[in-house]
Amino acid sequence: MNPEPDVVCPAAIRFSAILIFLYCLPAQGQVEDKLVRHEASHDAMGTVFTIVSYGREARFLAQVANEAFDEIDSLDAQMSHYKVESELSRINRRAAHEPVLVEPRLFALIAKALRFSQESEGAFDITVGPLMKAWGFFRGVARVPPRGELARVMKRVGYRHIQLDDKQRTIRFAVDGLELDLGGIAKGYAVDRAVDILRANGVNSALVSSGASSIYALGAPPGERAWRVNLRDPFEKQKVADVVRLKDYSLSVSGSYEKFFTLKGRRYSHILDPRTGRPVQGVLMTTVFAPRALDSDALSTTFFVMGAQRARALLANYPNVSLLVYEPTPAPRSFRRIRAQSTEFTLPPESVAELER
Amino acid sequence: MEHEQGVSRRDFLKTAAAAASALPLAGAPAIIADPGPTDAVRYGIIGTGTQGCTLLKFLTTIPEGRCLATCDIYPPNLKKGLETIGGNPDTYEDYRQLLDRKDIDAVLICTPLHLHAQMTVDALDAGKHVFIEKSMFFKEEEEKPIRQAAAAHAKQVLQIGLQRRSSVLYNIAMEMIRKGALGKITFVRAHWHRNSDWRRPVPDPKFERLLNWRMYREYSGGLMAELASHQIDVANWAIGAEPISVVGTGGIDYWKDGRETCDNVQAIFEYPGGQKLVFTSILSNGHHGFEEHIMGDQGTLEITIGKGLYFREKTAQTTAGSSAETWWAGATVSDEATQKGIPIFPETVSGDEGFVHREIRFAKRWLASLGIYDYEEPHDPWWSEMKNFFASIRESKPVVAPLEIGVADALAVIYGNRAIDTGQKVFWPKRAA
Repeated sequence: MNPEPDVVCPAAIRFSAILIFLYCLPAQGQVEDKLVRHEASHDAMGTVFTIVSYGREARFLAQVANEAFDEIDSLDAQMSHYKVESELSRINRRAAHEPVLVEPRLFALIAKALRFSQESEGAFDITVGPLMKAWGFFRGVARVPPRGELARVMKRVGYRHIQLDDKQRTIRFAVDGLELDLGGIAKGYAVDRAVDILRANGVNSALVSSGASSIYALGAPPGERAWRVNLRDPFEKQKVADVVRLKDYSLSVSGSYEKFFTLKGRRYSHILDPRTGRPVQGVLMTTVFAPRALDSDALSTTFFVMGAQRARALLANYPNVSLLVYEPTPAPRSFRRIRAQSTEFTLPPESVAELER
Repeated sequence: MEHEQGVSRRDFLKTAAAAASALPLAGAPAIIADPGPTDAVRYGIIGTGTQGCTLLKFLTTIPEGRCLATCDIYPPNLKKGLETIGGNPDTYEDYRQLLDRKDIDAVLICTPLHLHAQMTVDALDAGKHVFIEKSMFFKEEEEKPIRQAAAAHAKQVLQIGLQRRSSVLYNIAMEMIRKGALGKITFVRAHWHRNSDWRRPVPDPKFERLLNWRMYREYSGGLMAELASHQIDVANWAIGAEPISVVGTGGIDYWKDGRETCDNVQAIFEYPGGQKLVFTSILSNGHHGFEEHIMGDQGTLEITIGKGLYFREKTAQTTAGSSAETWWAGATVSDEATQKGIPIFPETVSGDEGFVHREIRFAKRWLASLGIYDYEEPHDPWWSEMKNFFASIRESKPVVAPLEIGVADALAVIYGNRAIDTGQKVFWPKRAA
């Protein structure tokens, strides 16, 4: 276990950032007087996206936010496995029969998801859909599938059955009945795309949140060093487990407390281990900090499935990532947190991702 | 944000609770003791067809009124009315004879639309308190004699049969609107869809026009008068004004059975602030039933008798300068975070409930019976409107749906039908201040 560093991302950040901040303060004070704050929310991907931004003109900020929401809607229309008309659904229907041509960015996202799968040896897997259905987590009533059924379903699960042809930009499934489900990565990706739009329009102080589970902090609020984010307690919604500070960083949370079912005294989480086909046990919540929300989103699920010890080894593959794992302790409604982080940090010193005591 | 939604839900509940406790009459509990035969309002009912009998059924459980007489020109209806109310009221075929009775305090008029105005005027002139079913009158020129009779008999109660005005649910909805839950109202969408021919069975063809008067333009304003009138009134109530113009179209497109009134009606009413009401009514598809959707820049109410849902609009907020920024992060799953409608009566429990829930429900019901608390529609709004009518007579309580509300509603029906008939936009005439 890590010897309790308070700073989740490299301690290196710190001083230079504070000096820069102090140096800029007087000038910022004048500018801030003219700043306006704009906050808007939008339903997409089965959750609520929120964008808050600071700038000079309210109308311009609203236009930029709307453009970002349009982009998120378009990603939702493309990547939803709930929508039968989406490109992803078309792939799911056709790819077992023939190679299917895929839109370049979606192709790149699927390729990226496969890399997470390979690096985690299947702890992250976008083919987990049939398993979710078997356990009743997709529009169904939660249940424990019989052993025989689970074995049958497992034959249709596994990233190794996905074949990507980079040259042709096509996808093909090696087994019939395989289904892609981008639920573990799409919301983070959408947050990144929204941030790209904000940046491209010159917005440098904003926060983008997808249902509070993936957040990107762009710059900092006026007069602040970073954005302040409360991490909820795994047992109590309104209670704060930890307070973190973010600047030019993303954070994603995976937890077993929002969706689960209890049968014969046993609690089953909706987060399934694709390797065993069964719900993950022994982890309450993971929080991952990464420069891009796509990475923090995918890794929060991956580390949830792998657990703290094995996650630590995998972190060597990813620079600039920090991890908090919350595990239950024998005392009722209590937990312990385990921290881990990348061995290498390459980001500019202004970035902030740290725990507040 | 999830956290923020929690706050808004609490705000909403506070608003709803405050609104409920502020209600005047409709939500009042039945605390008036049985007034006994001498204290009760002695009433007669004119028209004991389907609507008349609906009221009579509710009246059997309201001791503040006692039925002395019923009247209908169609003997089977007369019989049905008697069976419904029970007791031993006198029966008449000529409503004037009923009006001549000095021992009758009030009349309920539930006749075909073309008879409303004359009967209302006659009843007021005969010194009776009057409950007149909607729509209040049939022709534009009938407004004036009704106004004159009402002015000449100002001490007599005149109530229009717009029963949503007596609904606790609707009153809470309107209070929410007044308190800003919807923000600025811009649009009301109302639909009343059925999949039926909207006809009454006729035992002998000679009674066709008598029983199916709604099909004939000589007596009826069709779907606009019988159905839209309720929903126009809801829009007028929500917006706080009456329309200034209307466009519309309609046709006899599906039930080509000799009827003269449309089976497919679409109209757009415009209000002084630019708000629009879109009303649609069809008789060939009942999937959507009947509802009003009231929309403002801060929220939406989807409401109908017995059911009301509130949806908060996801609006952007802009403020000057910076603000203390604290955000929440936590795992969410699909659909959990998105907004579902918040019921107007949030405490209403349905389905499986345990002992504690049941006890809480009984406790709330008891509090409601003391007039302390409202958590559900305590009675059918039809029952409540009768109760309110008698309370206005016996206790001088304000009339729930008085003359001006009825006039505004009736004129909108008339102009709406005119727009459909002519294909022209119809403007409300300028009125003297």
